[in-house]
Amino acid sequence: MKILYFAKIKEIIGKNEDSINIDDQNTVGEIIEKLKLIDESYKIAFKDLKNIKCSVNCNYIKSFQTKVTNTDEIAFFPPVTGG
Amino acid sequence: MKIIFQTKKLNFEEVLENFTSKNNNSGAVISFLGKVRPVNNNNKIKSMDIEIYEEMALYQTKLAINNLLKKFKIHDYLIIHRYGNLKPGENIIFVIVASEHRKEGFIFIQEILLYFKKKITFWKKENYEQYSKWLDSQN
Repeated sequence: MKILYFAKIKEIIGKNEDSINIDDQNTVGEIIEKLKLIDESYKIAFKDLKNIKCSVNCNYIKSFQTKVTNTDEIAFFPPVTGG
Repeated sequence: MKIIFQTKKLNFEEVLENFTSKNNNSGAVISFLGKVRPVNNNNKIKSMDIEIYEEMALYQTKLAINNLLKKFKIHDYLIIHRYGNLKPGENIIFVIVASEHRKEGFIFIQEILLYFKKKITFWKKENYEQYSKWLDSQN
């Protein structure tokens, strides 16, 4: 599974993507918990989930309970500021 | 009908000229140009970094436009949004629309700009003399 990070989240973690394997369907929330085990920077990046947006295959998800599989591309980022 | 995300400088005069000459049968051609401000909240801006998640930005912009085209009769549009490092005074976004009458063109531009503030995956970081700061969302 490809996981992308953008803006402030990318800066905190120190890289723009990760690749992980999951055995079965996981929720996005469960993926976040797995990521937080990698190191302290992930714990900091995912500390305040209220300020984190997430997409699966370029679609915004409404809940961190959304299920994903190994073929999905997940992205984590702050609220957008374009225009 | 085109969406372009680019790092290179945006020469809007040339774009405007080409667009209007292609749309001689439209009663209204309306455009909006967004620029990098020299000062924000009393902080002098040295430069601005704009980051993009390009695949999603393109996908979400197309979704937004498809929604708007169901509501408004638009003949043609062009959206150019830059990313990368920009200096104060440089152009960030240019939206141009051709329509039968001015009303739907104005609304289309206003709506598409709202999508860019809410949904389209760009992030701005302002670089000042002493430090840098990611801008907070206006939502």
